[in-house]
Amino acid sequence: MTDIGAQVSASLNALTREFDIISHNLANVSTTGFKRRCNSFTQVLAEQAAAAEGAGDEESSPGVFDFSQGSLVPTERTLDFALHGKGFFVVESPEGPLYTRHGVFQTNRNGQIVDSAGRLVAGTAGPLIVPPDADVADLYGTDDGRIIAGEASIGQFRLVDFPDALDQLQAAGQNCFQAPKDVDPVPATDVVVKQGYQEASNVKLVDELVNMILVSRMYEANMKLVGVKKDSSSAALSVAMG
Amino acid sequence: MLRAFSTSATGMMAQEMLVDTIANNLANVNTTGFKRSQIEFQDLLYAKLKEPGTEIAPGVNAPTGLEVGTGVRISSSLRVFSLGEFQNTQRNLDIAIRGNGFLQVLMPNGDLRYTRDGSLQVNANGQLVTQAGYQVEPAITIPADAATIDVATDGGVNVTDSKGVRSVVGTVQLARFVNPSGLASQGDNLYTPTDASGEPVVGTAGQEGFGEIQSGFLEKSNVNMVNELVNLITAQRAYEINSRAIRAGDEMLRNTSNLFR
Repeated sequence: MTDIGAQVSASLNALTREFDIISHNLANVSTTGFKRRCNSFTQVLAEQAAAAEGAGDEESSPGVFDFSQGSLVPTERTLDFALHGKGFFVVESPEGPLYTRHGVFQTNRNGQIVDSAGRLVAGTAGPLIVPPDADVADLYGTDDGRIIAGEASIGQFRLVDFPDALDQLQAAGQNCFQAPKDVDPVPATDVVVKQGYQEASNVKLVDELVNMILVSRMYEANMKLVGVKKDSSSAALSVAMG
Repeated sequence: MLRAFSTSATGMMAQEMLVDTIANNLANVNTTGFKRSQIEFQDLLYAKLKEPGTEIAPGVNAPTGLEVGTGVRISSSLRVFSLGEFQNTQRNLDIAIRGNGFLQVLMPNGDLRYTRDGSLQVNANGQLVTQAGYQVEPAITIPADAATIDVATDGGVNVTDSKGVRSVVGTVQLARFVNPSGLASQGDNLYTPTDASGEPVVGTAGQEGFGEIQSGFLEKSNVNMVNELVNLITAQRAYEINSRAIRAGDEMLRNTSNLFR
């Protein structure tokens, strides 16, 4: 009897947490460069699918984030950059480098390219600086991440990837990811930079809504179970008490 | 459960602000020199329930952590200073800037403001002013006997008097900023410099990165109606779905409270 109670409350807690994750994904459906959080449903389903294909080992299960590509939305802004493929931009923060796919950049008063929180965007050779006589509207970005003002190149975005350690990235908020200290990024090879585009959030409304319905129905079912246990306990009690 | 409520509420509030911004862009679709705003979303901090790499058994580390996000917020609204379409007005005092630069406007209190709206007028004292009546800096006075006025691509203002004699009465100068998106909007098509925009650099149109002045044209708003309407529909749906998440959470809570009947 007690076992059932403990099991039900554990699964209720898990379902609640899952609902939190779904609502966070739904809240970020418009966040550029957002990567959806996997909840255990998708994890369990993916594991089952992998097991069915005979490749059911731990490595094939998805991590905390779903790093699949979001769609590219044109914005015609010259400082909007979208990544297509595997990789991240690097921004410098006081706590060390942060990694992001949110390529909506600006210039600060010194002409340096920064993200919306004012943190410097890393180039392969130091910060990227737009020369004072160049017009931001005339910047030209190449597919490999070089930025050209007029005739001269002002630098190249530092693009990195974590081919074996994507699972270990942690969300730092503000659209950024953090890597643990012992994980070093490698230069990204399989990525294209698209100027004038933003990578839309990869949250799929239909999937999230279906999961949301599943979670709330399972919650309901678990509650029914609690109700049954309550009824049977009180029946037992009334027998014992005469 | 309570976390999901506030998470969805942040989603609804952010979408609400997106709709507000789209509404302002759409309302200004016919405003000369208007630059559309773009809203940027940012995910909020994460509650870490379990760090990745936590030792779950001697010698066994969890391959992944567990973190639950707490929603979304608007990090900034930035103005997109792409060029608007040029509209031919055949009025000599309508000027459009073909490229980078702002007209300088002198406020009555002596401060300078900046605008892309080049529909200039001449006031009762013969001074060149903006549509709202503010004086263009540097001050340019049109002589009373001027028959025609025209503005050259470098900003030189030429007048022809009734006898057909041409003379230059002044030059419209332009200002530009390292980071125009950092300008504060003041309404009336005017912008105020801030710490983020940097100090204005003043120069002559057509030189040193400044755009040329095109007389007889006005720069229309750079709002694209179709894009804004598509964004509006997306925002509306996203709002709806976030509110649905609140309703679903409410239902789950009701299930819980039903236990105590």
